[in-house]
Amino acid sequence: MALTLIRSASRAKVSPMSRADRQFGLRLSAPALALLAMLLVVPAVLTLVYSFHDVPPTGIAPGEFIGLTNYETVFGSPVFWSSLWVTIVFSLGFVVVSTCLGLGFALLLNEAFPGRGILRGLLVIPWACPWLVIGIIWRWFVDGSVGGLNGLLMHLGLTDGYIDFLSNPRSALIIAVIGASWRQACFAAILLLAGLQTLPKELNEAAAIDGAGPLGRFRHVTIPWLRPVLATVIVLNIIYAFLQFDVIFAMTQGGPGDATQVLSILIYRQLFVATDIGTGSALAVILALLSLVGGLITVRLLYRNEA
Amino acid sequence: MTATHDRPRTTIPASSNTPAIRRRPRRRVKRGLVLGVVGLAYLLWILLPMWYVAISSVTTAEQIGVRPMPIIPTDITLDNYVGLLTGNTGREQFGTIDIGTRLIDAIAQSFLVSSILVVLNLLIAGLCAYGMSRYPFRGSRPLHLGVIAARVVPPIAIVGPFFVVFRYADLLDTPWALVISYNVFTLPIAIMVLKDYFDKLPVEIEEAARLDGASRLQIIWVVVAPLARPGLVAAGVLIFLEAWSEFFYSLVLTNQLTVPPLLAGFQSAQQFNWNSLAAATILALIPPVVIVLIFQRQVVGALAAGYDK
Repeated sequence: MALTLIRSASRAKVSPMSRADRQFGLRLSAPALALLAMLLVVPAVLTLVYSFHDVPPTGIAPGEFIGLTNYETVFGSPVFWSSLWVTIVFSLGFVVVSTCLGLGFALLLNEAFPGRGILRGLLVIPWACPWLVIGIIWRWFVDGSVGGLNGLLMHLGLTDGYIDFLSNPRSALIIAVIGASWRQACFAAILLLAGLQTLPKELNEAAAIDGAGPLGRFRHVTIPWLRPVLATVIVLNIIYAFLQFDVIFAMTQGGPGDATQVLSILIYRQLFVATDIGTGSALAVILALLSLVGGLITVRLLYRNEA
Repeated sequence: MTATHDRPRTTIPASSNTPAIRRRPRRRVKRGLVLGVVGLAYLLWILLPMWYVAISSVTTAEQIGVRPMPIIPTDITLDNYVGLLTGNTGREQFGTIDIGTRLIDAIAQSFLVSSILVVLNLLIAGLCAYGMSRYPFRGSRPLHLGVIAARVVPPIAIVGPFFVVFRYADLLDTPWALVISYNVFTLPIAIMVLKDYFDKLPVEIEEAARLDGASRLQIIWVVVAPLARPGLVAAGVLIFLEAWSEFFYSLVLTNQLTVPPLLAGFQSAQQFNWNSLAAATILALIPPVVIVLIFQRQVVGALAAGYDK
């Protein structure tokens, strides 16, 4: 979607608009835009305001203005830094795993083979699953007493007993990444496959005549062609990664200890368990800025390479 | 149309009537092998977790507890589903009420919230997207960018004010709390998908209708609405899925009113076993999966259109 905005900038309008036409457009758009402003901008501004105040647990009044104290509390707390670290590790894993798998799936499903239609149809099923349900499915799939993964590993002779994957900090984080990527890889594959389908056959044929092998064609034809789609996919994956809450909530609730406590889980605990609205809001502002900056940096990097 | 500049410029030789690379048999075997391995990995990736949930939902706790668990269950039972649908899971919460009874209610509430949002959003987002596409006004471009940027705002970052206002207005734990707050993410999607759709829709038919003397409003209802059906369907499906899947606002603003927070509640209820939860999960997945399979073409088209302009 980041691309949508860049591309459509060059779209020129054909006929000049009369004043009445422009007013008509404004009137058509006004209800939706007003609703969004009311529901999105007002609470966002309120959260920003809260973050500079010592808010009482009821939250009705913002309380006393305390400047940057909430931010100082946040930045001075080791819990925040460990949570930030977990968020970065989780996001990196999520973006890499789901983008690479998605690309692999898209390349597979772009080849001609019997049964391709059914395999393509499967792609939308994980995508349509609610994030929370994905968390539940994976939470039990890797369970230490009834889990399917443990059963499979034992059947294959790889282990001789059941392992409680979610009680180990390291494997819990890995499983959280895999579970969340289960859906996102399919989403990435849907977009990338659509991009691959527009790749003209002639480009590959010409490259083959010029002596390029499969790997060379992949590097010099497929990847450059897919770059705009890849950019969109990666930006969306980064945003989804930073905002992920449901999967981790359903799998580990941030545990064991705080091994999977990403920022959104920390904000939830701060706002609704500790009812500390001031620092919770400061954390929320930090998270919003992070996901915005993450998205912008990616767009920059991907477009700089293009020149 | 604007994308040509960033495509690789591979020169096609003038004598391009040479037959394209003919595959040698050995290469074909290799290709088949690679496809087979990757295809199998793909199938396992998607199906293994689903398969596990499916067999868990039709077996008992004793069967699934065998180590290693049976990959194909020998004895199939529908008791988990029957228990949920008749409100008789045998597991009680707060005394005498069987918590299984709440699933049917939650599914009904999820349908109610999602359907209201689809109708409401298609109407106002459709008008907004059409206005921005056909009658761009001063500030419509930055506003459109703002709508896109709204997707980056973490829902959790703005839930606090919602909670406070809804408690004040006595709207907590009602479907209306969700119908109002879900607009935060459903409206931007709907506007984006529909604006994109209208931008691609040729204007000639509308211009002809205008020359015939139709008013701008008449054009919308009589000409554009039927033409835009595929776009409206795609947007409607995306709104429905988004509303059906939403967990966080429903968790915070209601007492397990819709399906996702209820499933989370089932999961944390001590006496509720995994097999019943698996059956509840399958029941909760049926509506979105059926809808997405029916409207697969429109949905994939809308997703792909996110970049293809």
